[in-house]
Amino acid sequence: MEFSMARGWWFRFSLLTFLLLIALMGVAPTIFGFKEDSSFPVTKKINLGLDLQGGLYMVLGIDFEKVYRDEITNYSRKMVATLKDIGVESEIGTLINTDPQDPKHSIVISRATDLEAAKDKIREFYSYPLRLTEEEGTTLTYGMGRDFQREIEDSAVSKSIEVIRNRIDEFGVTEPEIVSQGSDRIVVQLPGVKDIDRAKELIGKTAKLEFRMVNDEVPGTLLNDVMDKVKKAGIEFKKGQRFSDYLKEVNTLVAADLPKGFEIAFAKTLNRENEITNLEPYLLENTSSLTGDELQEAVVRIDTQNNRPYVAMDFKPTGAKLFSDLTGNNIGKRMAIVLDGNVYSAPVINERIPGGSAQITLGRGDYEANMREARDLALVLRAGALPVELIFEEQRVVGPSLGADAIERAELAAIIGSFVVFAFMILYYKVSGVIAALTILVNVIFTLAILIGIDATLSLPGIAGIALTVGMAVDGNIIIYERIREELRLGLSPMEAVKTGFDRAFWTITDANITTALAGLCLLNFGTGPVRGFAVTLLIGICTTVYTSYFMSKILFERYMGKGSKKSISI
Amino acid sequence: MNTKNIDFVQLFKYGAIISSILVLGSILLFSSKGLNYGVDFRGGVEIQVKFTNKVEIADLRKQLGDANIPVSQLQRIGQEEANEYLLKIQSENSDLNQISSDVNKTLGEQYGAGKFEILKNDIVGPKAGAQLRTSAFKALMWAVLAIMIYLGLRFDYKYAPGAIAALIHDSVIIIGVFVLTQKEFSLQIVAALLAIIGYSVNDTVVIYDRVREREVQNPGTPLSQSINQAIHETMSRTIMTSGTTLAVTLVMYFVGGPVIHDFFFAMSFGILIGTYSSVFIAVPMTVLTERLSSKA
Repeated sequence: MEFSMARGWWFRFSLLTFLLLIALMGVAPTIFGFKEDSSFPVTKKINLGLDLQGGLYMVLGIDFEKVYRDEITNYSRKMVATLKDIGVESEIGTLINTDPQDPKHSIVISRATDLEAAKDKIREFYSYPLRLTEEEGTTLTYGMGRDFQREIEDSAVSKSIEVIRNRIDEFGVTEPEIVSQGSDRIVVQLPGVKDIDRAKELIGKTAKLEFRMVNDEVPGTLLNDVMDKVKKAGIEFKKGQRFSDYLKEVNTLVAADLPKGFEIAFAKTLNRENEITNLEPYLLENTSSLTGDELQEAVVRIDTQNNRPYVAMDFKPTGAKLFSDLTGNNIGKRMAIVLDGNVYSAPVINERIPGGSAQITLGRGDYEANMREARDLALVLRAGALPVELIFEEQRVVGPSLGADAIERAELAAIIGSFVVFAFMILYYKVSGVIAALTILVNVIFTLAILIGIDATLSLPGIAGIALTVGMAVDGNIIIYERIREELRLGLSPMEAVKTGFDRAFWTITDANITTALAGLCLLNFGTGPVRGFAVTLLIGICTTVYTSYFMSKILFERYMGKGSKKSISI
Repeated sequence: MNTKNIDFVQLFKYGAIISSILVLGSILLFSSKGLNYGVDFRGGVEIQVKFTNKVEIADLRKQLGDANIPVSQLQRIGQEEANEYLLKIQSENSDLNQISSDVNKTLGEQYGAGKFEILKNDIVGPKAGAQLRTSAFKALMWAVLAIMIYLGLRFDYKYAPGAIAALIHDSVIIIGVFVLTQKEFSLQIVAALLAIIGYSVNDTVVIYDRVREREVQNPGTPLSQSINQAIHETMSRTIMTSGTTLAVTLVMYFVGGPVIHDFFFAMSFGILIGTYSSVFIAVPMTVLTERLSSKA
């Protein structure tokens, strides 16, 4: 029975040394804190999680039901316009929202004789996005195809990520992480960011800019009557409520009292504390004549007359043409500039504006506050509007000092923990214990190196994972050693005992680690941020444990056993 | 320790009785008292704040109350001199973001800007909370299923029920301990539960492995004898491994700081329970499964 210095020992030993060298190079900058410009070939350090260095973690959700509603309503308008091109008169029908997952919208064809022509035209133009779900007389009801819905979802998520990234880049955060999670959520991580509230505001602002015409033809009392009705119904804006929810409630209540195609929107007056002091209602067209997509540039300027900041916007050539036509066709009317559903101003159009520029004047109030708002507004307008409204579902902020304290304590605990294990192993297993301690040390180095290598983030649960890895790594060694001791007791020679010990222990260690790995994989799959960090270190730890506890131990043991037949071993 | 003459299979009866009491007790506690879910699962706002000057908890409660902030729980963290507080707000149908910034504003007005530091501010919307709850449950279920299939493939299906019973036993009892102590049940604790499951199965598999080896070596020996022998032979390993791992988790528990405190509380407890269930539940139960399946 030949065990010592088995075939390929030098090869396996070289491989181990090689891997160890690479791992040491990988962890050196982290452990010794090399500067970015050091002459050491590797400069990458381990990414610390937000819980360790402070920062902002957010999960943003997308309300796809609203997206579907908007999209199908949009298409009903497009259909009417398309039909008009071939001389078929029709008008927009109603939104049918019995199944929020699959809203439908109808259009009404004016002359029954046009019905077949209209259906053909729509089939020709919109067979991919739309499907005819119901036909009753001259009323055609359309829903969206599932493929098309999926496409909307994907593009909403990827466009949102792009817009958020643009905004963050302008805001200036090092190493932000913006990724999608599942099909309807976006995770944003901003390590080390100081001004949390401002960052949140920047990310959350939809920045949907619209130019919408004001209806001044209705009797002046209509708005008052409508607002009275709202008040009587007990609907009022409550502190802490989402403003868009309030707006929705109001419009649902009074929809029947308003002329078709129009809705209520408010201009807000805010005080210094950003609290609403007054809401001025406007009756606006519910479609926008022009949107922020047509913007080329947005910058902050200061009105020298009253020393108030405003945001000056320039349109793209196509937008400039639209704006010119819009203003030319509506001279004498008021045009509201609406941002995220709120009216900012509603100037009267005096003449056609050909140059393709417009401006948003900010509310009254503190100069500093206005200036900051103007800067942020210009920034979000430049970076582009979010295609959808994002909902803050989850947010975690960790202050930098909590992180520093946490990392210090966790480090200390990990060091003491490892020391206890080493002492225990060496006292109990003597020379073999030293081998075990070595393999565990190498195990931790490998784990860290892989974490750095795959650009993973080390969070607090991650450190817990490493601590657990140390615990489990010991197990591998213990399984082998206890087996060797057993075989020795049965009277085998040390050489045979060691060989049997390793052989028998191999599958035990593998089975035991695979079952743990299965739990780890489930964790990884389930994982939101912190839990994922734990799962990643646990899984990496399992791989390195099998290598170090078994293969590396074996290499060292073969050396320790030497060539001859040892009479006794220290175990 | 000499365990050679201990009949673990016979002891299973007592183990089963003790465990049943613990499991039933846990379920009873769970349904009567309920878990103290953290904001992770329940949704809400959690803010940890540290003041530079001395601030009384009663004063803080009054100030927040005057500002109409629906504080559901306010507690001190650490030493009194640290002036560190944790406040939790549960509120449905309102903008949690707004509440969180109201807290900030109130603190700034009452105690002065720069006189306090927000150490942690977690906001979990009700939707995210519900989602986290279901995905946590799913993760546990998948883990159980995956382990069961693996054991079936690698060993024999007679081993799977014991392992699964043990790991359900472990998780239920840990949850019971969290109900009893009313410690906060958060995402971290779910991670701990999964780690414990992995650990406990690890223990069980090592012993199963030995049972299988004994069965191959001495065919014809009654299963209960192989089991007793296997548990006896692996006992020193079981104790050594549990001991060292427990040493690590206890050190992390005592030294690692408040953030990971509860995680390692669960881990330490889980290692004890997991070791016990491997030896006294999972492995001896194989005899029962074999008996039942041979009858069927």
